[in-house]
Amino acid sequence: MSNMLLEGRELHTYYGASHILHGIDFHIRQGEGIALMGRNGMGKSTLIKSMLGIVRPKHGRVLVRGDDYTKATTYRTAQQGIAYVPEGRGIFKSLTVRENLLMSARAGVDGQRNWTFDRVMETFPRLGERINNGGWQLSGGEQQMLTIGRALMTNPDLLILDEATEGLAPLIAMEIWRIVKEIRKTGIATVIVDKNHGAVTSICDRAMILVKGEVVFDGSSDEIRANPDLIQKHLGVGH
Amino acid sequence: MNKSLDIIHAEHRAIAAMMHGLRQIVAGIEKGRLKPDFELFRAMIEYIDKVPEKVHHPKEDQYLFARLRERSAEALPVIELLEAEHRIGDARIREVEAAMQQYEQSGAAGFAGFQAAVTKYIEAEWKHMNTEEHEIFPLAEKHLTAEDWAVIDAAFLSNENPWKGDAGQYEKLFTKIVNIAPAPVGLGPG
Repeated sequence: MSNMLLEGRELHTYYGASHILHGIDFHIRQGEGIALMGRNGMGKSTLIKSMLGIVRPKHGRVLVRGDDYTKATTYRTAQQGIAYVPEGRGIFKSLTVRENLLMSARAGVDGQRNWTFDRVMETFPRLGERINNGGWQLSGGEQQMLTIGRALMTNPDLLILDEATEGLAPLIAMEIWRIVKEIRKTGIATVIVDKNHGAVTSICDRAMILVKGEVVFDGSSDEIRANPDLIQKHLGVGH
Repeated sequence: MNKSLDIIHAEHRAIAAMMHGLRQIVAGIEKGRLKPDFELFRAMIEYIDKVPEKVHHPKEDQYLFARLRERSAEALPVIELLEAEHRIGDARIREVEAAMQQYEQSGAAGFAGFQAAVTKYIEAEWKHMNTEEHEIFPLAEKHLTAEDWAVIDAAFLSNENPWKGDAGQYEKLFTKIVNIAPAPVGLGPG
């Protein structure tokens, strides 16, 4: 039995007349961690959204556990054990921390309930201290922790973090990376979109670099770290 | 890049995050936006004292610098400079600690001294890490042999996550700092 979780094949996505993704192939297996990197506007978030049905690719196919989900609605794809933590967090600000977490609680695809409310509290003790606070009362870092905690409450097999530390102070970002590293150890497959290549390649075993909607690198994180020229060429600032 | 240099990079990121936080908090006090929190300062100083000074620097001296010293005459003056900086690291952090105690005892009058000590420490540490990353790392990659790297990597990998501490104590300290540091530097009340 294949352990493939999510695949995008030959994806072409457009925003109006702008051709954003140029035939991208993507795949992630159970338990794998992929650092998805590239400068701004290279198609990282569009790739994620194309596979989740948030944006419709014009050509290509999306497979979840081998089944065709190209035309599936986003909620159907999510029900296949895929949790998406988007840029901008998107918590329910009028609900409390507890309510935000409990409303997303559900068993995983195989009925697993490894991530309970208590376990999320243990992972993010800070949220425990703010449990009855409204979402609007949380700082940016707390909101990000709540968003990840909420994603875990769905007992996912795949967690997708899109710019999880964007705009956060370095201390908070370090703490979030530390926690994500612990989550990775539980065997949840993870796609991390982030500009901090050092942090994400230390968490993920595989790395992909997108440039202008095409994959220019797909290999091990060790390989990319061993090749500073590649990092400078495709991820360096001002070049 | 070799595993051990990767680990040093990761450790530098943690040190940089802590120093960035300390600098921002001191700037917030100067602007009147924040009040001094001595529990937070003590925790940050304890972290800098215990982790970079007592875990990170000795590891560099003992393995990376020791091997490179044998392989590259070109690296010698830089290694000697960095080792000298490691030797005075403890005294430098004690200066920050003393300035903080003075600030706590004398109130606002002690702020300038504390700010100066923090700035001096951070600038020296930035310069030190830059020298390591831009001068020592390239020399190490150029001159160290596969056998050298095997020894260094083994030593670093056996102690891959020094930030955690034997009983998770450094990790707890880091989390405590993140939780009490005022937003937006940390998660505490801003």
